[in-house]
Amino acid sequence: MSVSLALVLGLIGSILAPFAAARWKTIGNALVVAVPALLFLFFLMQLNAVGQAPIIEENAWVPSLGITLTIRLDGFSLLFALLISGIGTLVALYAASYMDEKTPFYRAQFLFYILLFMSAMLATVTADNLMALFVFWEMTSLLSFLLVGFDSTKLAARKAALQSMLVTVGGGLSLLAGIILIGVAADTFSISALMENPAPLVESPLFTAIIILMMAGAFTKSAQVPFHFWLPNAMAAPTPASAYLHSATMVKLGVFLLATMAPIFSQAAWFGPTLVAFGGATMLIAALQALRSTAFKAVLAFSTVASLGTITMLIGLDGEVAAVATVGFILAHALYKAALFFCAGIVIHATGEPRLNRLGGLASVMPITAGATVLAAFSAAGLPPFVGFISKEYLFEAQIESTFTAIAVLIGVLVNTVMVAIAVVVVMRPFFRPARRELHVHHGEATGMTVGPVVLGVIGLLFGLAPGLVATSLIQPAASAIYGEPLDVSFYLWHGFTPMLALSILVVALGLLVAKYWDPIHVALRRRRIFDRVLDDRGYYWVLDNTLALARWSTLRLQNGDLRIYTAVIATVVTFFMVYALLAGEGPVFPSVNHPEFNIYMVGVIGLIIVGCFVAALTTSLVTAIIGVGLAGYGLALVFLLNGGPDLALTQFSVETLFVVIVTAVLLRLPLMFTTTRTPGERRFDASLAAVFALTIFAAVLWIEAVPFNPVIPEYFAQVSYTEAFGRNVVNVVLVDFRALDTFGEIAVVAFAALGAWALLRRSNVARKKPASTPAKGG
Amino acid sequence: MRSIILVASTRIFFIAMVVVSLWILLRGHNEPGGGFIGGLMGAAAFATLAFAAGVDDARKMLRIHPAVLMGVGLVLAAVSGLPGVVLNGSYLQHQWLELDLGLFELKLGTTLVFDIGVYFVVIGGVLSFMFRLYEEEQG
Repeated sequence: MSVSLALVLGLIGSILAPFAAARWKTIGNALVVAVPALLFLFFLMQLNAVGQAPIIEENAWVPSLGITLTIRLDGFSLLFALLISGIGTLVALYAASYMDEKTPFYRAQFLFYILLFMSAMLATVTADNLMALFVFWEMTSLLSFLLVGFDSTKLAARKAALQSMLVTVGGGLSLLAGIILIGVAADTFSISALMENPAPLVESPLFTAIIILMMAGAFTKSAQVPFHFWLPNAMAAPTPASAYLHSATMVKLGVFLLATMAPIFSQAAWFGPTLVAFGGATMLIAALQALRSTAFKAVLAFSTVASLGTITMLIGLDGEVAAVATVGFILAHALYKAALFFCAGIVIHATGEPRLNRLGGLASVMPITAGATVLAAFSAAGLPPFVGFISKEYLFEAQIESTFTAIAVLIGVLVNTVMVAIAVVVVMRPFFRPARRELHVHHGEATGMTVGPVVLGVIGLLFGLAPGLVATSLIQPAASAIYGEPLDVSFYLWHGFTPMLALSILVVALGLLVAKYWDPIHVALRRRRIFDRVLDDRGYYWVLDNTLALARWSTLRLQNGDLRIYTAVIATVVTFFMVYALLAGEGPVFPSVNHPEFNIYMVGVIGLIIVGCFVAALTTSLVTAIIGVGLAGYGLALVFLLNGGPDLALTQFSVETLFVVIVTAVLLRLPLMFTTTRTPGERRFDASLAAVFALTIFAAVLWIEAVPFNPVIPEYFAQVSYTEAFGRNVVNVVLVDFRALDTFGEIAVVAFAALGAWALLRRSNVARKKPASTPAKGG
Repeated sequence: MRSIILVASTRIFFIAMVVVSLWILLRGHNEPGGGFIGGLMGAAAFATLAFAAGVDDARKMLRIHPAVLMGVGLVLAAVSGLPGVVLNGSYLQHQWLELDLGLFELKLGTTLVFDIGVYFVVIGGVLSFMFRLYEEEQG
């Protein structure tokens, strides 16, 4: 079975299974778990093949335009696919149990989003075409929005959902701009093609702009400084979604993209150092904020942000070890962080208490959860023999071997100290320390919910004890993919007495110290309000509020309901640009007058139009004004008729007639004479604007006349109109046959515009029926 | 108050305008005319009737709701492209049927269906909001 087929089947299953879950609880839930589980098995079976060479599958999508949807599965994307489907399986199992007491619809809707997200996420990491990657990337943002705001009756959830979407989709636009520039520079959107031949991209003058734009997109998605604020707020999502999207998978898309493009981008010397700087800043800020956080999930969220900063830094570091460390850290982090979120969810679900310092003594009530938390926390703290220990050794080795030794190691030690402290605190607080005040435990632990963290915790231990399980099969191809060349990977537990081991011991010792004095540190840091001002999402709200204020201001100015202002604005803008176009081009060219014959009819018709215009402009009677405008319109129709445009003339006549009939209906409601509401000054301005507008159009028409007429298209249509479309009226043939799709679009627009006007008129009808009759506006 | 003379003469005019609008619609492929112009004329016919004899009369004459007429028109235009998909693999590639009726040869194309669709949309579009406008005045 091809990867493409598996993905399509996965998508179908993702859509159908939740519907089954809404109807039949047990079977439906089993199906919901089966979809990601089967995908996981499928990707496991690809390990061997991908170990040899990346799988590339081309699927024709729009063959007539040469657009293909190419699937690309290399070691790195396979690692992600396994994490997405594997953790997805556990999340589905967990969520089905987590939402057990909710209504079937609520539960099914949540599972639907989760599985759809999984499909989008798998498509993102396997897409070879950057445009396709962007589309799926944005889908994950959209689903993240739906999941963060899932409890849509809560204001905080809606705010956080909007924030996460504005930040990630805003970054997505930046990513799109970068991708388009890649297309401009390298003439391809295919990642494989870029990897094979990066020269056009690297040598392009756009290279710097491309890297900055794509980096911005990645930073928003992976919550790097200065966009770090949205991720902790996104914890408003139900915990299964937090565990899945906002720790294990989606937030890693940013670093996934950076790592995938790293072999090319690192040709720019500043790429690595920039990543190290932003990653390091993110690590420090997140560690500080984690110490200041009170809520269980917030602490975990900030430690996730710190981990994402770590990965960003690792991608920026040079050397083979950094590639291995990146892959190892992504794997280890996904395993332990998802498990910790699962456990936090179980605890919060059972007690209804989200604050870490209010929890306590739960080990006796929920022993399995406590055990799983211990396993995950050991890995998170980087203790042997867990996989987290190995990844932390590699992290330190990469930092020591890099060119940034001192600073990188210092940041690494500081942040990992906090990580160790967090690991200790999330184990000790809720489970082993007695509660400060009495805690209501509503229910014990459900099997469906404990499977996930236990499995992940045990895997973390297993991979630590037997790293050979993943060293050559998974880590080596993944690290080679992001390093750009095949690597010989040694991923094992015991490295001997090395500087890295010394650093690990130092970090654990310091971490235990911080954990011991967690409360005083927490309180002292929390009191410093300056951190709120600098590190919170105030910048986001400043931008948001000012954008809204600008929108309100411009609406008030430009759309204040006064038709005269609308007309004046439109006329001014059109005049300005036309004058600009006339002057900025080759300058106005005037045609030689080559119509010597004096046409008495034309003179008469033009006289008619002029009279009509003056009547409309000068009269104070609305009816007279309408007649004046109608006169000018009929005159125009006669001009068309005299110059060989019968279709145009017929249309113009009909439109003018309808115009008069319709406007008369409106006029019957208004007083026949209008009092002048415009001051003489305003009228002078109106008149001069109208005169300038008319003169500009006049000059433009003259200019168009001066440009030699290209008869190719009309001649072509005149020739083929009867032979190919069996019609002698070329205008009609073009409308209904050659450009029928355009016409179809136009009549659809006519229909929708009419529907809109129809609906608006109904509203004013209702308003009129109110006792105090106010004159209906508009119409 | 309605003028009897205006109402009576409008009814005659109405029939004449509708016939002319249909004629313009049907001859459109070879002579000046077509669905758009025909539709505008048809709408003008109903507008005149509504103006003189009242909206209720005009609505009765139209029989179906103008918004529905608009939908029917859109559907006709969309459906007229389907034979092209089946026969040529290209949407809106119009197909022709030649009928030999002895006296003369009749050529029927899916273009006519498309043009009738345009005709309906234009009539429905104009009338749907124009009737409302008139009713607002009278109501």
